[in-house]
Amino acid sequence: MVDFGFGLVPSSRINLDLFDKEKYDELLSIEPDARICMACGSCTAVCTAGKFVHTSLREAMEDIFNAKPDKALETLRACQLCGKCSMVCPRGINTRHLIMSITKVYSKK
Amino acid sequence: MTPLFFALAAQAADPEVIDRIPSGFSPFVLPFTIGVAFMFSWIGVGLIRLLAAIPKSDRIKFAKSLFIPKTALKNLKDLFCDCLFHTKIWQRKPLLGYMHSAIAFGWFMIIILGHIEVALFVPARLNVTRGGLFYPIFYRYFVWMNPGHTTLRGSFFFFLMDFFLLYILSGIALAIFKRFRSIVLGMRHTTKPSFADRVALYSLWLIFPLRLLAESFTADLSGGSFLTVPVNHFWHLIFGDKLWFMPTWWAYSICLGLFFAAMPFSRYMHILTEVLWILLRNAGVKPNHPRKGVAEAEIYACSSCGLCLDACPMNVQKKNLKFSSVYFIRFLRRHNEKKINDIAEKCLMCDKCHALCPVGVDAPSLRRAQRATVNNALPYDYSYLSTASGSTLAGETHATLGTVRGGTGASLCEASGGAERSEAVARPRVLPEATNKVLYFAGCMTHLTPRIIKSVEKVFNAAGVDYAFADRDGGICCGRPLMLAGKTEAAAAVIEANKKMIEKSGCDTLVLSCPICYKIFKEEYGLEGIKVVHYTQFINELIAAGKLNVQNKGERLVYHDPCELGRGCGVYFEPRAALGKVGNLVKASKEYDESICCGGSLGSLTLDTKDRSKISEASLDSLLANDPQTIVTACPLCLKTFSEAVAKTKKGDLNVSVKDFAEVLCP
Amino acid sequence: MKNNILIIGGGPAGLEASAQLQRMGYNVILIEKSPKLGGHLAKWDRLFPDSVPADEVLGGLLRGTEGVKCFTDTDVRAINRLDKSYNVRLTNGITVLSDAVLVASGFDLFDAVKKEEYGYGIYDQVMTNADLEAYFKTGSDRRIENPGKIGFAHCVGSRDEKAGCRSCSKVCCATAVKQAIEMKQAFPKAEVYCFYMDLRLFGRHYEDIYLKAQKEYGVRFIRGRVAEVSENYDGTLLVKAEDTVAGKPLKVTLDLLVLMAGMRPSAAGKVIGDLLEMPAEEDGYFAVRSGIAAGQRSPIPGIFLAGAATGPKTLPETLADARAAAMEVDRYLTEIFPDAKNYKQLVKERW
Repeated sequence: MVDFGFGLVPSSRINLDLFDKEKYDELLSIEPDARICMACGSCTAVCTAGKFVHTSLREAMEDIFNAKPDKALETLRACQLCGKCSMVCPRGINTRHLIMSITKVYSKK
Repeated sequence: MTPLFFALAAQAADPEVIDRIPSGFSPFVLPFTIGVAFMFSWIGVGLIRLLAAIPKSDRIKFAKSLFIPKTALKNLKDLFCDCLFHTKIWQRKPLLGYMHSAIAFGWFMIIILGHIEVALFVPARLNVTRGGLFYPIFYRYFVWMNPGHTTLRGSFFFFLMDFFLLYILSGIALAIFKRFRSIVLGMRHTTKPSFADRVALYSLWLIFPLRLLAESFTADLSGGSFLTVPVNHFWHLIFGDKLWFMPTWWAYSICLGLFFAAMPFSRYMHILTEVLWILLRNAGVKPNHPRKGVAEAEIYACSSCGLCLDACPMNVQKKNLKFSSVYFIRFLRRHNEKKINDIAEKCLMCDKCHALCPVGVDAPSLRRAQRATVNNALPYDYSYLSTASGSTLAGETHATLGTVRGGTGASLCEASGGAERSEAVARPRVLPEATNKVLYFAGCMTHLTPRIIKSVEKVFNAAGVDYAFADRDGGICCGRPLMLAGKTEAAAAVIEANKKMIEKSGCDTLVLSCPICYKIFKEEYGLEGIKVVHYTQFINELIAAGKLNVQNKGERLVYHDPCELGRGCGVYFEPRAALGKVGNLVKASKEYDESICCGGSLGSLTLDTKDRSKISEASLDSLLANDPQTIVTACPLCLKTFSEAVAKTKKGDLNVSVKDFAEVLCP
Repeated sequence: MKNNILIIGGGPAGLEASAQLQRMGYNVILIEKSPKLGGHLAKWDRLFPDSVPADEVLGGLLRGTEGVKCFTDTDVRAINRLDKSYNVRLTNGITVLSDAVLVASGFDLFDAVKKEEYGYGIYDQVMTNADLEAYFKTGSDRRIENPGKIGFAHCVGSRDEKAGCRSCSKVCCATAVKQAIEMKQAFPKAEVYCFYMDLRLFGRHYEDIYLKAQKEYGVRFIRGRVAEVSENYDGTLLVKAEDTVAGKPLKVTLDLLVLMAGMRPSAAGKVIGDLLEMPAEEDGYFAVRSGIAAGQRSPIPGIFLAGAATGPKTLPETLADARAAAMEVDRYLTEIFPDAKNYKQLVKERW
């Protein structure tokens, strides 16, 4: 086979094969609400920190599913745990605990 | 009293009591002596370890406090009221208070009187080498009354000893009864005892009946009074002259020994630790770890009485009883990290267990300290705050001050982006900097309850308050939610940022409409020269000063005390005073410091929506006790929680509205 | 002998079912608690997807009910189950001995006041879909004064566990698209935004109006739920949502925000359900014998259901449901009801 060399270029594509099931299960075990986000964006819209820097729980969840946990941590760094997101979440997700749990689980190397 | 004491002193020379056993020893005292010696050495070592573990500054503070007259006086008062009389329990549940004080105070008096008797009649025996450790306890066994020489003084002590024994026995009877029907004593839930608790508990139940038995057997030899003498006659009636007093004295000693041996591992450790905890508490020494140092005294001061079970709002579901403070403290004692953490995270931090704790154990603070051990290290990055508070917030202070519809509510911290800045500049600007002496900070949550903001502004405008609105377009969180989550360092960062913004504003009064904000602004911010008030206080003042005219519409109102405002900051009076002027205030079944958390508290990290709504229902039930037309609260979280609870309630005919304090006060 | 059939609820479902049963020769009694027949349809201006005037549809339905005994301003006071029939006492003093009861109690619109963060009843410039229809009908509303920027917030009281409404209300997406177009027609210069979580435009021609809204009217669709609304100094609204497609929080100043209040189980229907001891599911809508095979039969023999009483439905679905219910009533009254001897056995087998 001829190697055309395309494989050497880093892919910008999300690679679901890299999804870390074990870590995700660990997250679920401490915060089962991690399953039920419907990506409405309410949390991001009201975010107190989000007014200053990019902060988004919705996106962090997406990043975790898309095997980019570091990006998720990055997106949540600025969170002030004020709880507005938990007030508006239509699914009643315990967002504050979810945020802390993501930080706990995924910042362990 | 004087003639009596005179008589007592005059008779001191008569040989009234004769040492029946010259050696002053009998083998039956051994179980007690061993038990009590074990307990004291355990406590001695514990005390040294504890004092060594606390920071030196705290040690000095503690030592000094013992010699400050004011603190010493308070110590004395607290020791008598809390440890012996249990006044805090009396106030809420008289029968339960009687039970606790009967056992504690009665026992204390018996020990003291026993020692006084020995000191008066056989003083040599107080010496430790001559049996001072056990002699006063088994005094009645060792002595023989000289029948011809009974004196008023002797009878006086006989009477007292019998009196207090009866007093204790009544307490024990109630305690046994309470195990089976606690509700009669005002407790719906009781603590599940651990193994050591059971050993100590059953020994405790037996100790005093056995003492009565033992002393009544020997009453014809060593004397007695209205209780022991008749009982002695009664035994003679039944058994004739054959009384087995040796076995009963043995049993009495064994029970005492068992009790003291089990004490360090059981809840009864509180009897002595409570003393230390009261001294530490009054010295102002605070725990900085959930179970080391001062906290150790605090957790061992817990008597596991279980009053916090009834206090806990989570008790609406039996499955959540295990998250109550009494179990939290039990696991802290056992160093069970996993369980400690689970319980610490579940709590709503409503502080009711602390408010109602007869020993004043501050379990919510211990929980916060526990959360900090785990969560304080979680990474965060608030570098954006320095730019935000430095340039944006304060920088735009005068850029956005402007006249607004119907008032002067201006925005202090507009937003960060350049686009917003130009928008802000485009608005008409009339007021120069720092004419607004009153600064209103709504807080994050209040932005989701526009009713509050609208009403506060209406009230301010009606009362002619010249104010600035610090976070009209959103601000920085006050830091209390971070604090509650145990992220203490992160909290300090947001506090710093807000503080800068507020100090730059030049205001002299800061009005908060969210109790969560209010608590932390008041306690942690240290805003010098700025009066920090909750809007209930501020509006009440406006009414009192005649600036805000209100009319009594006769509506039946019930006021819900938000946790952070009531128990958290002690604000109970002002909201009620103001509400009393616009309506007819009715009572909730639980209010003031017994008010039930609405269930929406930010304090809990892990409680889910379903469990929360059960708590909301219970809280709602309490508020509806006297058929109000309107529930009034003064917290955005309570407002939202109750609004949702009323909407979702299954009671078809429920016709009650939920309103914010300012909304009701709106002219 | 003609069987008596009581139909509770004078909305589209009740009207259509009574028309059908009347045609079949039954003696139909229709009761409606409000003074006017037509339910929510009577308050609507035009209908999606083809913008047919609601009055036209309602007129057709009313014409079909000739001969039906209609009692408006009438509610049920008490219901007794006899052997097979129901003895129903009405609030107008009449007692009906009915062999079958059809409950067409419909739905209530979600009370938008309950979503406080949207500011309905607090901010002047927030209104609901129903308010907007009333405006279309009457041509006047103090809130609408040549608005420059208009927003539609989808899913108000739908797909919201917090508000106790888990389900999708089915009709609001299409209604929002329809109303957005109508607002553009009324105010061609206005900018119109629709804030949605998912556009659930499933029916025939629904996609057409979506396309029309984009192509011909330039309605801007933003995928993100409206999460916070505040009022500016000048009374305009500052609306916050996340543009989840762009992945950025968004804010926009609007002159008018229309809340698409969803469908909730009817409160009046619940009272009827309690009288009949008819079970509802957790979502508050009445349970049916089988969601697929017997969607118009309640678990109680002789009690039938039609329309939104059993969950959110579009108007054509409601009408079809009502016709199906009529067929079910007929089947029951001819096959099961008359056989007094084997009644219980037949109910067991065929209900």
